[in-house]
Amino acid sequence: MFKKFDEKESISGVLQLKSSVQKSIRSKILDSYPHLENYLDVILPKKDAFKIVKCHDHIEILINSAGEQQFFRQREGQWMPTLKLLHKYPFFLPMQQVDKGAIRFVLSGANIMCPGLTSPGAQMTEVQKDTIVAIMAEGKDHALAIGKTTLSTEDIAKINKGIGVENCHYLNDGLWQMKPVK
Amino acid sequence: MAEVNRLKIGPKEGVNYPIQVTYCGNCTMPIEYCEYYPDYDKCKQWLEKHLPTEFEKVKIGDNETPTGEEEKKRQKRGGKGIIKTKKKEEGPKQVCVSRAPRGKKKSVTVVTGLSTFDIDLKVAAKFFGQRFACGSSVTGDDEIVIQGDVKDDLFDVIPDKWPEIDEDLIEDLGDQKR
Ligand SMILES: [Zn+2]
Repeated sequence: MFKKFDEKESISGVLQLKSSVQKSIRSKILDSYPHLENYLDVILPKKDAFKIVKCHDHIEILINSAGEQQFFRQREGQWMPTLKLLHKYPFFLPMQQVDKGAIRFVLSGANIMCPGLTSPGAQMTEVQKDTIVAIMAEGKDHALAIGKTTLSTEDIAKINKGIGVENCHYLNDGLWQMKPVK
Repeated sequence: MAEVNRLKIGPKEGVNYPIQVTYCGNCTMPIEYCEYYPDYDKCKQWLEKHLPTEFEKVKIGDNETPTGEEEKKRQKRGGKGIIKTKKKEEGPKQVCVSRAPRGKKKSVTVVTGLSTFDIDLKVAAKFFGQRFACGSSVTGDDEIVIQGDVKDDLFDVIPDKWPEIDEDLIEDLGDQKR
């Protein structure tokens, strides 16, 4: 999603959100990530004025009043956290762990292949298809990517071929490198 | 079983959130991922300077040779798996100078590419202004315009001021229309 993203070229505008819109985004995020319940007031304070950065390819990025990127989505899809936010609160997405050998592929923006999730160094937690997940890695503490499952984990294990998780955002992609928006 | 708990969803007891992750000053990733960065040497230099204890750990880890199994895994996978370095470093390091007309009689000198050498453009513009006793300002992302025709002098002045920029790395674009 952000492989070719460039903060100078890919942004088309910044929108100030009405408080009603702000409220509905908050409740959507809470619906998607119930574990954030006690933390959302810190991440997206009710009184804070959020903005949405509109980008090419129907990407929207939600930023707080300090200009930090917090969540993003594409084509009105589910809001996903940025890795910087997830690193602070690493518990609210289901985690899937890839083996060591897959790390450099994920960091180059490749989608996550089933075998990288089923080999001995890998580990999955059960989720359905189209779930937003955190990509962890064998022997590492922090998430290296955020993705969306293209198969249920049951099918990933069974089929064990092709793409299992779509890579939406990874360390050092365009979103990661984006500076706070003023 | 510890591994399973590791991936468990929900806040962990006894942990204060938000967690502060240590990011590398060179590659910007959490330092545990530095080893995957193409310019790992620079990461190590950064670590040595800023986080000496972490640097010691890395040094020990480096001596481990990859096991045969890991090597095999690597070869089996398709695709290249090439990780790009930061955009800024992608282009070749080069400075371009050109002359552009200003009014009927006067010319200005345009300097681009200084930021590929990590030079602060504002400082550079000020320096040119003082050196040539004329107006000089930052006019773009990586562009400085000096009021006056000083293009030929720049081939001496720039390497003098910034030794990392060799005269051969300065490209003369000649006369440009504005
Ligand atoms: Zn690094």
